[in-house]
Amino acid sequence: MSIPLLICDDSAMARKQVKRAIPDGWDVDITMTVNGVEGIEAIRAGKGEMVFLDLTMPELDGYGVLEKVKAEGHKSIIIVISADIQPEARERVMALGALDFVKKPIDGKKLSDVLAKYGLL
Amino acid sequence: MNEGVVLTEDQRDCLQEIVNVAIGQSCDSLARHLKVFVHLSVPRIRVVSKQSLSVELASFVGCVGAKVSGVSQSFFQVNVAPDISGQTFIIFNDFSLRELAGLLEYEGELTDAVEKKLLMDIANLLIETCVSRIGQQINTGLSYSDPTVLGQHILIDDLFDQKKLGWEDALLVEISYTLENSPFNCSMFLLMPCESIVVLKGKLDVLLEGL
Repeated sequence: MSIPLLICDDSAMARKQVKRAIPDGWDVDITMTVNGVEGIEAIRAGKGEMVFLDLTMPELDGYGVLEKVKAEGHKSIIIVISADIQPEARERVMALGALDFVKKPIDGKKLSDVLAKYGLL
Repeated sequence: MNEGVVLTEDQRDCLQEIVNVAIGQSCDSLARHLKVFVHLSVPRIRVVSKQSLSVELASFVGCVGAKVSGVSQSFFQVNVAPDISGQTFIIFNDFSLRELAGLLEYEGELTDAVEKKLLMDIANLLIETCVSRIGQQINTGLSYSDPTVLGQHILIDDLFDQKKLGWEDALLVEISYTLENSPFNCSMFLLMPCESIVVLKGKLDVLLEGL
């Protein structure tokens, strides 16, 4: 069965880049949202078992999404994909429950490595 | 306004994402320099006229009537015409300059000369990391002029001499750097004249076609 995958990023280009970086043959059912508010709604609707999450977004940012996911007890596996390469940004999202962090612009090989590392492929 | 310089929604989105990645790089450098956490914000991108520039900048810096200090540095491509070129400005309000000195644990008297050094250091760090990262993403090697101090403790209107701006319309990219637990903030502006916007649009289209 396909894994419901949510890509949450305010940039159309970034969403396309992430989509293109998804490993070939990975059986996912993709939903895209453009801010954290829509992202959390998609997660509530069961469309985000896996989530590729941007941090800097209008409405509700990635940190806010992570907090809500934690507070509401969703079991989503979240990988943050962000341009914020400060080591502290990574520490913060990990503390909020993200599985890992991949920097932008996204590199397909890096994403595959991270997914493989956690046995998600 | 010349319609040829207006970015399509796809081009604007593409440029915004490129600038986001560049801001991430410069925030990381600033964070390491000041040993603080820097908040990334979404850049604002639009085409402005020469006449409206100082009003636009003052409203973004958020200190209409307040005294500011500013540094400017030009960027360009060597031996390419028409090229990607433009000017970058870093603007601090006086309050943030004192805050900056505190963050860097500077204990002496804040003379104009000391402030000038602080300004130049931060401007260098932010401009070169941010602008070169933008260049990299559009496969464009950029060179820089020496940075110059536009003025210290003056009104934002007085930072720019409208008559000396060699363009009518320009692409304005506004970036704000704010820190956590500190009232420090500084603003960075990129201005690109019409001829460069046309070249830039071509480069953005190449990236968009590759998606």
